[in-house]
Amino acid sequence: MTTLASERPPGEDVLDGPPAVSLDGVTRRYGETTAVSDLSLSVREGEFFTLVGPSGCGKTTTLRLVAGFEEPTAGTVRFGGESVAGVPPEDRDVGVVFQNYALFPHMSVGENVAYGLNFADPPGGVSADERVAHLLDLVDLGGMAARDPDTLSGGQQQRVAMARALAPGPDVLLLDEPMSALDAKLRERLRVQVREIQRELGITTVYVTHDQEEALAVSDRVAVLNDGRVEQVAPPRTVYRRPATEFVATFVGDNNVFTGDVTAVRTDDDGRRLADVAVGDAAFAVALDADAAAASVTVGDRLTVCVRPERLAVDAGRNELTADVTSAEFLGETTRVHLDWAGREVLLRAEDPPEGTVTVGFDPADAHVVDGA
Amino acid sequence: MADAIDGGTEGDDGAPADATTSGDRAHRDSRSLRGRLERRALVALAAATVGLLLVVFYYPVATVFVDSVLVEGRLTARVFFDILSDPFYFGEPARLLAGDSLVSVVEGLLSPDRRLGIVGFTAYQAALSTVASVALGLPAAYLLARFEFPGRRTLRSLTILPFVLPSIMVAVGFVATFGQNGTLNAVLGALGLGRVDLLFTLEAVVVAHAFYNAPLVARVTTAAWESVDASAVETARSLGASPLRAFRDVVAPQLVPSVLMGAALTFVFTFSTFPIVLALGGFQLATVEVFVYRLIRDLEYAEAAALALLELGISLGLLYAYLRYEARHTVRSRGIRPLARRPLVPPSPSPRDLLLRVGLAAYAVVALAVFVAPIASMLLASVSGPEGLTLAHYRFLVERQTAGASFQVRPWDAVRNSLLFGVASLAVALPMGVVVAVLTTRGYRGRKLVDAVAMAPLAVSGIVVGLGLLRGLVFGVEVGGTRLAVGGAVAIVAAHAVAGYPFVVRTVAPGLDGVDRTLVESARALGAPRVRALVDVELPLVWPAVVAGAAFAFAISVGEFSATVVLASGTSQFTMPVAIERFIGRRLGPATAMGVVLLVVTSVSFLLIDRLGGDDVGF
Repeated sequence: MTTLASERPPGEDVLDGPPAVSLDGVTRRYGETTAVSDLSLSVREGEFFTLVGPSGCGKTTTLRLVAGFEEPTAGTVRFGGESVAGVPPEDRDVGVVFQNYALFPHMSVGENVAYGLNFADPPGGVSADERVAHLLDLVDLGGMAARDPDTLSGGQQQRVAMARALAPGPDVLLLDEPMSALDAKLRERLRVQVREIQRELGITTVYVTHDQEEALAVSDRVAVLNDGRVEQVAPPRTVYRRPATEFVATFVGDNNVFTGDVTAVRTDDDGRRLADVAVGDAAFAVALDADAAAASVTVGDRLTVCVRPERLAVDAGRNELTADVTSAEFLGETTRVHLDWAGREVLLRAEDPPEGTVTVGFDPADAHVVDGA
Repeated sequence: MADAIDGGTEGDDGAPADATTSGDRAHRDSRSLRGRLERRALVALAAATVGLLLVVFYYPVATVFVDSVLVEGRLTARVFFDILSDPFYFGEPARLLAGDSLVSVVEGLLSPDRRLGIVGFTAYQAALSTVASVALGLPAAYLLARFEFPGRRTLRSLTILPFVLPSIMVAVGFVATFGQNGTLNAVLGALGLGRVDLLFTLEAVVVAHAFYNAPLVARVTTAAWESVDASAVETARSLGASPLRAFRDVVAPQLVPSVLMGAALTFVFTFSTFPIVLALGGFQLATVEVFVYRLIRDLEYAEAAALALLELGISLGLLYAYLRYEARHTVRSRGIRPLARRPLVPPSPSPRDLLLRVGLAAYAVVALAVFVAPIASMLLASVSGPEGLTLAHYRFLVERQTAGASFQVRPWDAVRNSLLFGVASLAVALPMGVVVAVLTTRGYRGRKLVDAVAMAPLAVSGIVVGLGLLRGLVFGVEVGGTRLAVGGAVAIVAAHAVAGYPFVVRTVAPGLDGVDRTLVESARALGAPRVRALVDVELPLVWPAVVAGAAFAFAISVGEFSATVVLASGTSQFTMPVAIERFIGRRLGPATAMGVVLLVVTSVSFLLIDRLGGDDVGF
C-alpha cells in the first residue's frame, strides 16, 4: 500500500506555513528504468528528515532531485513552497555531503571549507576566515585548516565535508549516506555529533541512509522508500511500532508477519476491541487500535498482522504456537532464535535460547495490523 | 546518470535565483555581472568552439567538395564518374564502369601486366604497411607486457614518440639511412658488399610506415595484455589447460580486438599517407593523397576534390566497419591483478628460455634498424661532410638566412614561423580541446554525435583542409557585396589548430572522465557555476593531462606538413617541415640540419607529454 499525501498515517500532522522542502508527484526515469515513481513528501523547517530504504529504492535519486543534480521527469520540487524547476544546484542554497566526502584533494582543509564563500558572503557579517575557523571549531577540527585532506582519517574528512557544506549558511543540508564508509563505532559517535550540530543550527536536514537503525536513532521523521515509492512517513517510534505496510514491518527491524482471515470481532473484559484471526491451525486474538488499517475490520476480512520477535514469550499463556527450534544466532545482549512453525519461519528474541520444541505466545496488544486488504 | 552540460538545468529567464524565495538568497552574487558571465561561460565557449569548427573546418571542407560536383555552375556527377571509370585511378575494375565485360576485367586482373590504378596501389601499399606494422609491433607488445627489464617503462613511453615526430623529418631520416650515400650503404661498403638504392622504392615507404605505426600497434596491444586478469589464466591452467592452450583460449581473445584496432588505424593512416610517400616515393609511387596534391598544384581543383572525397569515403567506410566490429567483439576484462612479468635474463635459463631470448634479440636488431637508424642517420648526416665531421650544414642554414635571395627559403624565418604558428594554434586548440572534452565526457543525449562531429578533423586529410582554407578563406568569400578574406598565416594557424585539438581532447577527456563526479557536484552545491567547477576543481586535478594535450597540440602544429604546404605555396609563410621538403631534393645536408632542429623542438614536447600524462592518452 502506498501512503498518499492525502491520507497520511498518524504522526504526520498539519503544517503551519509551507514546508521547507516538498516533492509533489515527482517521477524520475532513466530510459526504461524508473528510479522514483510519483513520490510526494514534505520536510518541515528545521526538521531532521531521513530517507531510508534498501539499495535501489530511489532515496539517493530523491536527494539528487532536491539538490538539483537531477531534474524530475514529472512532478515538482518546491523550496519554501516555490518551484525550483530549472534552478541549477548552485542557486538552490543547499549544502551537500556525499558518502565519499568529495573533498577537493588539491585544496587544504581550510580552502575546502572556504570554497563556498567565493560565491556567497558568510552569514552573520563575519569575515570568511572567521567563518572557516568557527565551522572547524564546530566540528572539532580547530587548528586543522592547513592540513591536506588526505592526511585526515575518514571520520575527520567526513566532518570537514560537513563544515564545508555548512559554511555558506545553506537553507537545507543534504546528507547522502555520509557515514557508510566508516566503521561501526565511529559511525555511532559521528551520528550523535551530526545530530547535535543540526539541533544547534536548527537547519533543515535531509539524510539518506540504507541503515534502518541509524534512521531510527537520529531522525525527527523517517520516510521509508521501496521501489521508488514512499511506504510510510512518520516519527521513528511510529515507524517501528506501527509500520504502515508489510514492507516497513519487515525492513525496519525483525518482525513476524502472519496473514489470515478474521473469524470474529469482539470486545474483551478490559473493553478492548479484538479480532480473532485464523492463521494456519491457530487462532490469534489481535487488538484493533485506531489505525486506518485496523479501525474498519469486519468478519471475513483478510488481515496481515505483525508481532516483533522480542514480544514473543516462551509459555506466554495467550496466542500460543508450538514450533521447532531450527537455529540460533548469538547477538550479545540477546539471541535471535529461528523457529519452524509448520513450514512458517518465526523469529524469537531470548536471553536463554530454548532448544527442541517450544511453545511461544504474545499479548493481543503486541500485535499490529498492517494491511486490512 | 543523465547529468548534462551546463545550462541543462538552468531556467529560461536567465536569472533563476529570482525564481525562488527560500531563504536569504540576496547574499548570493549570482545576479552580479561576473556571476552572469560565469554561468554563461561554458555555453558561450561551446558555441564559440562549434562556430570556429564551422568556419575553419566544415565550411572550407564543404567548399572543396562542392567543387567536385559543381562544374561551371552546373551540378554534375561527371567528375566522379570519370575518376571511377578511369583505370589510371581504379585499375582494371574501373573498366566495368566504362562498359567492359566482367570477364575481360577478371582476365585483366589475372594477367601479369594488370593495372591496379592509383587507388589500388594505395590500398596495396597500405596493406603491406599494415602487415609490416603488426609484424613489428606484436613482438614489442609481448616484450613490454610480459617481461621485466631495466628501461622497460622508458621504452613503453617511447611508443608515443611517433605521434609527435614530424613525418617529413622521419622521411629525412630515411633518406639519410637508405639513400645512395646513406648509412646503410656506408655499412655495406665497409663490409665489402655492394651498394643498394632503396630510395623511391615501395620497400622504403613500407618500412617508414612501420616506423610510425608499429609503435601504435605495440601500444594498444600492450595495454590490452596488461589488462588481462592473471586469475583468469590461472583458472584455465587449474582446469587442465597447457600454457599455450591457456594463451589461445584466455589471453588471445582479449588481444585480438586491440590488434585489429591497431591494424585498422594503421591501414587508414597509411591509406591517406602523404609526406612519407612524397619524400620517399616521389610522384612515380604516387598514392591518392600525393596525387591530390599534384592535381592541386596543377590547379585541377574539381578532380582533386572528387578524388579526395572518394579517399575520405573509403577511409571512413573502413573506420565504420571496424567500429561496428569493435562494438560487437570487445571483451576486455578489467584486470584486477595483471599477469606477472618475467625477468628478461632468467637466473637459470632452460633451452626453451634461451631460444625465446635469441628470438627477442633478433627482433631487437630489426627494431634498432627500423626505429633508431633513421634518427641516428639524420643526426650523423647533419654533421658529416665529404671530409668527415663538419658543421657546414648548420653554417649553410645561417648563411642562407643572411645571403639568400628573396625567393629562397630562409631557415630562421621557417623556425620562427613554426614556433609562432605553434604557439598561436596552441592558444586556439587548447581551449577548444578542453571544451570538447567536457562536452564529451558527461553523458547526455546526443553525446555520440558531438563526439563524431568534433573528431571528424582526425579523418579528413590535411591536404583537403588546406585546400578548403585556401579556396574558401584565403581567396575570400563574398558576403553581402564585400569580400572577406583572411591572411595565409591565420589560415595556417586555423589548420594547425583543427589538426591539433583532437589530440587535446584525447588527452584531457580520460582525465576528466576519471574525476569523481561528486567533486563537481559538491562545488556546484557550494554555489559554483559549472565553469567555475571546471576551473577550480576539474582542471587543477587533471592539469598534467592538460599540459600533455598542449604539448601535443604544439608538436602537431610544428610538424604539420600537408595543409601547410598547400597554404604556404608561393608565400613567405613556410614552416620547418616545408623548408625541409624544399631542401630535401637538392641538399640533403641542410635538410638533415633542419631536421635536427625540428627534432629538438618536438623532443621537448615529447618530454612534456611523457612526464605529465603519456599513459592516459586515449588511443
